[in-house]
Amino acid sequence: MNRLWIDERYCKGCLICLDVCPTKALKPSQEINAKGYILPTSNDMKRCTGCGLCELMCPDFAIAIEKAEG
Amino acid sequence: MKRHPMLKYLKEEGPMGPRMPLIFCPGCGSGQVLNYTLHAVDEIIGEDKIRKEQFLFISGIGCSGRITSHYLNFDSAWTIHGRALAVATGALLANPAFKIIVFTGDGDTGSIGGNHFIHACRRNIDVTILCLNNGLYGMTGGQHAPTTPIGTITTTTPYRNREAAFDLCKLAEIAGASYVARWTTAHPRQVIKSIMKGIRKKGTAFIEILSQCPVHERMLPVALLKRFKESTIRISKTEESRHGKTPIGEFCDVDRKEWNESYQEIIDQFLAVNGKAHEQIVD
Repeated sequence: MNRLWIDERYCKGCLICLDVCPTKALKPSQEINAKGYILPTSNDMKRCTGCGLCELMCPDFAIAIEKAEG
Repeated sequence: MKRHPMLKYLKEEGPMGPRMPLIFCPGCGSGQVLNYTLHAVDEIIGEDKIRKEQFLFISGIGCSGRITSHYLNFDSAWTIHGRALAVATGALLANPAFKIIVFTGDGDTGSIGGNHFIHACRRNIDVTILCLNNGLYGMTGGQHAPTTPIGTITTTTPYRNREAAFDLCKLAEIAGASYVARWTTAHPRQVIKSIMKGIRKKGTAFIEILSQCPVHERMLPVALLKRFKESTIRISKTEESRHGKTPIGEFCDVDRKEWNESYQEIIDQFLAVNGKAHEQIVD
């Protein structure tokens, strides 16, 4: 299963990653970061195909997908 | 912890403390264009065996200007308003091997730097111009710009804009640029492909990227990206079938003589006649 990493310091909560995810593997979290932005979190990472669109379209370099080996 | 793959090209720490996160507003298109550009540069470095030191990033003033100023771990210059292309011309004269990428905004290219822009295209200097077009002056408070579409409400056009907008791609094409393309921030793969093509192209490559300004357009970034997809249409479609949508795609891709190459011809011509005399001088 792929793993999701969000950099809390860099994310500004624009939630573009949620919209571009083709399998809807992300959802907005209940927590906010130190600046008051709503961060994305994993909805169901089993659905993640590792296409990398969220990494590609993130304006703040805050999201990364660690692909499962094998 | 895994981090974003493009962070290796950015300066996260500076002498005055951390430089990141980026200064842009949440959901700004400038950060996305920076992301796409770094992806393209990453692929060029991997495929063409071009060294990282060969790249030079130049920008003018505006939101787009902030991209090079603080974050890039490449050689970069933050120049005066509209004059990024003048600095690029000088840099190219000093070292023709530079791969120059110029970040400009629509105000930078379309209004104050308009003449620098058309003459860079006329000379066909070997630069890649990325124009981040958000249709207004974002940094100064959302005033209307030469690229604001008719009927848009901005802070200086509260009764909707009445003036026709500049089509920068057509301007670049007529002025003589070798490669002209227009995309939006909602087309990441196409933007990356175009930037790679532009860097490899000998001559001026002008790539206009329609970019969102969620703060001054007062909409969510996601809604603006959706609007980009709905309001644009491929250039290959005929005029009648476009229904007033903005054409996107590659406007032109021609081979014209590059500026430095054409001057090199004169040098070669004189060297052929006075070759021996020249060698003596060099000795």
